[in-house]
Amino acid sequence: MVRESMHEFMNDPIDVSVDFTGRRIKPKRVRWGTKVYDIDKVNLVHGAREGQKRIFYFSVSDTANFMKLKLDTETLEWRLVEVYAP
Amino acid sequence: MAIILHLDFNSYFASVEQQANPFLRGLPIAVAGKGRHSIDVAAAHQGSARITIDQLSFQRSVVTTASREAKRRGVKTAMGTWQARKICPEMLVIPGDPQKYGDITKRFMAILRRYADVVQQFSTDEAFADITCACGGDYLGATILAQSIRAEIALECGEYCTVSIGIASNKFLAKLASESKKPNGLTVVPPHEAEDFVLTRPLADFCGIGHRIEKHLERLGATSVATLRQLPLSLLLREFKSYGYFIYNSARGLGSDELEPNEDPKSIGNSYTFPHNLKNEQEIYRNLLALADRVAWRMRKQNFVATHIAGYVRYGDFGGYGFHRRCQDPLIDGLDIANTAWEIMKTRIDAQKGVRLIGVSASGLLPLGGSDSLFDSQRRKTRALKALDQVTDKYGSGVWQRASTLQTNFKERVSGWHYDHES
Repeated sequence: MVRESMHEFMNDPIDVSVDFTGRRIKPKRVRWGTKVYDIDKVNLVHGAREGQKRIFYFSVSDTANFMKLKLDTETLEWRLVEVYAP
Repeated sequence: MAIILHLDFNSYFASVEQQANPFLRGLPIAVAGKGRHSIDVAAAHQGSARITIDQLSFQRSVVTTASREAKRRGVKTAMGTWQARKICPEMLVIPGDPQKYGDITKRFMAILRRYADVVQQFSTDEAFADITCACGGDYLGATILAQSIRAEIALECGEYCTVSIGIASNKFLAKLASESKKPNGLTVVPPHEAEDFVLTRPLADFCGIGHRIEKHLERLGATSVATLRQLPLSLLLREFKSYGYFIYNSARGLGSDELEPNEDPKSIGNSYTFPHNLKNEQEIYRNLLALADRVAWRMRKQNFVATHIAGYVRYGDFGGYGFHRRCQDPLIDGLDIANTAWEIMKTRIDAQKGVRLIGVSASGLLPLGGSDSLFDSQRRKTRALKALDQVTDKYGSGVWQRASTLQTNFKERVSGWHYDHES
């Protein structure tokens, strides 16, 4: 029996409100289309490179969903790239 | 006497995934390797396609790491996912994300370098550290230092990323010690306890004694460390040649305490297992060329030229052959590497058997010289490669591709020593 859960990969533009603490930023709220999600926890932040471009991925969650947010440090554009709901 | 620390992440890729996504914690999960239906996470994050993970689509994939919950149910690394699912039907399969794991590897290596005198990375999730001076030369200091390293890893990598640590007087013992308590263990083996500690461990836990050697030893009557100690060195040398010294010493807890940090590579290679067996010579050459371009790019990035090219072919029936050639001139271009390899391959290849895997590597590496070639065509090629390398540096690998390799598609590996995105 395979678990029924929703796990999707995408590359959707989103709006993100963030807190700045020193040199760190912490996503607080995500607007994806018409939906708004308040982030409870930033579980992991990791960096990657697309050529010389530095990208940061924020693995965040609220009480019901996991989301992976992508920040392009060159364009300062946020994208929602992964969603998981148990 | 040296004090060596060995650090090993527990269920590395799965723990990182469970750290990132708290809804996966406590669940049996497996991180899938590349397979016919697996997805390349980095590519998915850049494309416009929406991909829904269908659990059944991982049927032809393998488990690169199982979470501790899945391991408890009997799931093992390298098992086919269909087989793992038979054992553990509720197991979730997660596509591997090498960029994420690569970043965590860099973080824990940086932490170790802050604490240790010398650090040797042993794999993506394992490292040795010489902490002799850092801990003041005693095992109490070493234990305190290990706890600090563990606390920093929890802080910087996440509390779900746990490590097992072993501390001893040499690399062999330190690794054996860290293997002895998982997950989240700390095992200290001071020199006076080494011989007794080794006696308590199964031979299968010895790094360097694989399944075949274990079976060979069994035939000689050695089924435990105690019985292995009874075998004379002369017998081990006769049976295993010079490797007999290692086996003899390891049974007594003896080993090297010399760490090898940042050695220059002896060879640079790439291999790939195809999702279906290749039965067409053109298709085989195209894939060889794409692989050779990767090798050449990595080589130039590290400022090397190749004087030897080696490779191997494995068929669908797991038969195959290897080859090696010394080059007349040093090579820096993927096309030259591919053509050198193809000259040998084409005489021996039996495409009808279906090629499952191709590997190509460059060795006899020499530093890339600064002087220009006497020949105009060679100078033009060098300039073109330099320009292409600059484009790759700026926009990332995969930004250019030869027209003839457009039909090749290599998914990023989720296991092994190197991460593809870093090469």
